[in-house]
Amino acid sequence: MIAFEYIEPESLEEALALLEQHGEDAKVLAGGTGLVNLMKQRLVQPTYLIGLRRLAHSPELAEIRPNGGLTIGALCSHRTVETSALIQHRLPLLATTFQHVASVRIRTAATIGGSLAHADPNQDPPPALLVLDARLRVQSTHGEREIDLNDFFVDYYETALEPEELITTVVIPPQPTGAGTAFSKFLPQTHDDYATVAVAARISLDGDTIAHARIALGAAAATPLRAKAVETALQGQTPTPKLMRDAAALVAEEVDPLADFRGSAEYKRDMAVVFTQRTIGQAVTRAREASGNG
Amino acid sequence: MASLVSVGRPAGHVEGPSKVTGQARYTADIRLPGLLYGKCLRSPFPHARIVSIDTAQAKALAGVHAVITGAELPDRRIGRFFLDKPVLARDVVRFAGEKVVAVAAESMDIAEEALTRIAVEYEALPAVFDPVEAMQGNAPRVHTDTSAYTHPPVPDFVHPGDDRLYPDIPNVVSQVFYTHGDVEAGFSQATREFTHTFTIPPVHQGYIEPHASVVQIEPDGKVNLWISNKTPFVARSQFAAALDVTEDRVCVNTAPIGGDFGGKGSLMDSVVCYHLAAAAGRPVKMVMTYTEELSAGNPRHPAVITLRTGVDASGRIVARKAKLVFSCGAYSAFTPLHTVHGSVHAAGPYRMPNVEIEVFRVYTNTVPAGHMRAPGAPQIVFGVESHMDLIAQELGLDPLEFRLRNTLVEGDAAPLGEKWKKIRCKETLEAAAREAEWDTEKAAHIGRGIGMYDREPGAFGPSSATLSIAADATLTLMTGAADTGTGSYTVLQQVVAEELQIPLESVRVVQGSTDSAQWEVGAGGSRLTHMAGQATLAAVQKLKAGLTAFAARHMESPPEQVAYRAGEFVNTNGQRLALPRLMAALADREELPLRYTGEYVAEDPVEVTSFCAQIAEVAVDPATGQVTLKKLTTAHDVGTILNPLTHQGQVEGGAIQGVGHALTEHLIVQDGAVTNVHLGDYKLPTSMDIPELKTVLGESNAGPAPYAGKAIGEHSNVAVPAAVANAVFDAVGVRLMDLPVTAEKVYAALREKNSATRND
Repeated sequence: MIAFEYIEPESLEEALALLEQHGEDAKVLAGGTGLVNLMKQRLVQPTYLIGLRRLAHSPELAEIRPNGGLTIGALCSHRTVETSALIQHRLPLLATTFQHVASVRIRTAATIGGSLAHADPNQDPPPALLVLDARLRVQSTHGEREIDLNDFFVDYYETALEPEELITTVVIPPQPTGAGTAFSKFLPQTHDDYATVAVAARISLDGDTIAHARIALGAAAATPLRAKAVETALQGQTPTPKLMRDAAALVAEEVDPLADFRGSAEYKRDMAVVFTQRTIGQAVTRAREASGNG
Repeated sequence: MASLVSVGRPAGHVEGPSKVTGQARYTADIRLPGLLYGKCLRSPFPHARIVSIDTAQAKALAGVHAVITGAELPDRRIGRFFLDKPVLARDVVRFAGEKVVAVAAESMDIAEEALTRIAVEYEALPAVFDPVEAMQGNAPRVHTDTSAYTHPPVPDFVHPGDDRLYPDIPNVVSQVFYTHGDVEAGFSQATREFTHTFTIPPVHQGYIEPHASVVQIEPDGKVNLWISNKTPFVARSQFAAALDVTEDRVCVNTAPIGGDFGGKGSLMDSVVCYHLAAAAGRPVKMVMTYTEELSAGNPRHPAVITLRTGVDASGRIVARKAKLVFSCGAYSAFTPLHTVHGSVHAAGPYRMPNVEIEVFRVYTNTVPAGHMRAPGAPQIVFGVESHMDLIAQELGLDPLEFRLRNTLVEGDAAPLGEKWKKIRCKETLEAAAREAEWDTEKAAHIGRGIGMYDREPGAFGPSSATLSIAADATLTLMTGAADTGTGSYTVLQQVVAEELQIPLESVRVVQGSTDSAQWEVGAGGSRLTHMAGQATLAAVQKLKAGLTAFAARHMESPPEQVAYRAGEFVNTNGQRLALPRLMAALADREELPLRYTGEYVAEDPVEVTSFCAQIAEVAVDPATGQVTLKKLTTAHDVGTILNPLTHQGQVEGGAIQGVGHALTEHLIVQDGAVTNVHLGDYKLPTSMDIPELKTVLGESNAGPAPYAGKAIGEHSNVAVPAAVANAVFDAVGVRLMDLPVTAEKVYAALREKNSATRND
């Protein structure tokens, strides 16, 4: 690792002022589970490291609040999201998804805002947050804006975040009533691994037909992605096994997997189809249960 | 054995509390005044000529105290058996990861920064990565001239074979033949013949502690070395040879070892660490990163195993011919022998009158291979046991039935002619089959597979142990053997407590440095419980005899009328003197300390082996190829178990290592370089990946260790990959000929099978 100056701001304002001042020379350290690895490998060499430890109790950055939907402070750890009673009750998909991330030691350190800013396409939370229509509230000394998560991931480890901006809150809007959700993480090697492919689905039913479908994948391209062709094929249709199989097959054209130690591009593409089909099936089952048709 | 007070009881590791409380100071924890940190620049090329090296900018960096290149060092090669490895590359690099320049600096950060300021110009040379290709006439030569490479004679404890070192075959380091019977005559009796080839990738030992070395040179030139090494006395010999000094000029100090699994037997960075310390005039510490471990450690040999077997009309094996090709990487320096001695297992624990095994170790431009738990055996047994199932399938026999027709039984000669006593191969296999419910119905896509192995207790090299009673009347056992995490200190402590019939905790166990302990080969080859155990037993006998004389004087009895029984001396008048009282009396009289050293050299070949039969039960997801290991049964033919806790620890730890070898672990080598260079990408099994494990122990009092113990350290890891591959075939009908058994490979094989079926 190369020497850097470590600064711990006392307030959000001070943190934003430091980001404004140092711009691309600075990196923000939250849980450190992603950034420190990059620094050790000298892939990232910040001159200034802005540690957010002292902001860990600021209400805006560290709390989970019901707010029509729900807001999650960017400094909430994965473990906090996983174990929050409010999230387990309102958004069981998130609690389940966060439970799949790495190990309990990593989850205790890693923050939700930090992992989104890290933008590793192999992470588990983004597909789940995408199907929940999440938005990110980001702030700089110039003010605040919201970014739809669909627009946030730009490329491999690249986001729409400006160097002087900080993610403060993850905003999850109210969910359709009776929606069924599911998350699948394919781990063919060990349980402590990134996904070979991850799929999240949210399906809401109107009687016998699919009213809304959201399907998103991780580890399937240079960024997390929404499978819009699959969603369109499901929309307004009756979820028969054939429909779900045919719709899932469309994901093969939407993914653009990178070959890595978790599988070749071809294998990941095939597995994206398998797990899209399985995840849709689980979400439909849950939606039927929720609407009393189970 | 009803009187056993200590042996046979579970005892936790004597050094365990210091490890789990963080008090244990490993080599990497050592702090010395003026300590510098060493780091090496490594070659990015698998084979290249070094055109030039410019170290000026590194030398100019503040805090850098030494920068050395191969050209500045004596032209002396190092190694364990073959001395073929330069300390730093000279003129040529032969694998991606080879050390080229070494730096010592005041901090690790400065040392790393210095490496970025070194410019090395290389000219790439043609390289060869596959050992079979490397043996062809047109293959690039990894070493153009091996005539100057020295080695000692082949030691006599090695199974006798026809040994040819550096034969006239491209890149071949050694070619060894083991034969028994007449293999061609055997094949002429066969009604069917089968030939299969298997490929096994390199795997890393996966210890938690990476290699570390600390070197301190005293003003008079004496060298203090701390090194994570399982055989300190052997390390001293090799290190002194590398420095061209006599052994008394080197002291190898002790530090706990954070896992070995066979990989901690080499000098690794210690020699370059010495040269840095000499150049800087200050002590130097070098700790490898895990990236260095994975890309430039000393992994298990990758292998290509070809087996040809002849079977007669009754399903009995009549001949086996094996060709085993091991890649030893760019240097042969990391292995203690000329060959991979697991090769003798190429016939398996089966009755076969005619056997010929041909073993090659071949240079390639890849990371040099070393030893790992049962060296050679997991590779060969993956081949042998997969081959057995393939034959059974062709013969239309159940894999269990085919094995039972061929397993060794009492009275049989082993495949290479060894005469073993108390052969319990069939019994062990039958016990595994019972426990695994081999004959019960299975659901769809569930399969069971068998793997078998046998291994004899290690019986080589001298061992020694010293019992001393200090001036304060405390009893200490000093061993020169490092406990690599197996529990050897505890087992030796149990032997002393047992013989003296005293509480375990009244015996202190310490590992002595090479200056304080007696010469001892150390850990390796499943030898410590046997060899160091017998040496400890001998030390206790001497202590008993010595103290009996003192007790007799104290009791005013003739020595022949005094005996030691259950913790006290008793004379023929019934007078008693407890051991602690005698020791206190000796302390009072200032007759302490007393020292008694026991030594042990195995006299005859060990006439027993231990059989192991394993059965894996897997579920395969046909849509993804994912293999879930649901249950593993491991049955062992064991001797007296000295410590059930550490014994089971070896069984379980080995089985888990086997699970990793079977399903997830492999160093992925592309263009000669290892690409999965951290533990996020090199997948060791986690606690969540461990299946239900059923252990079956069939005890017999047939071993050479004290109290008729055998060995257990290198048994349960060996046959798991074969058992898993056989189970996958049983589940979904696809056969993998290479490791690991990954989901993607099974998926591809299933697709191929399905399309073949469709096209039929």
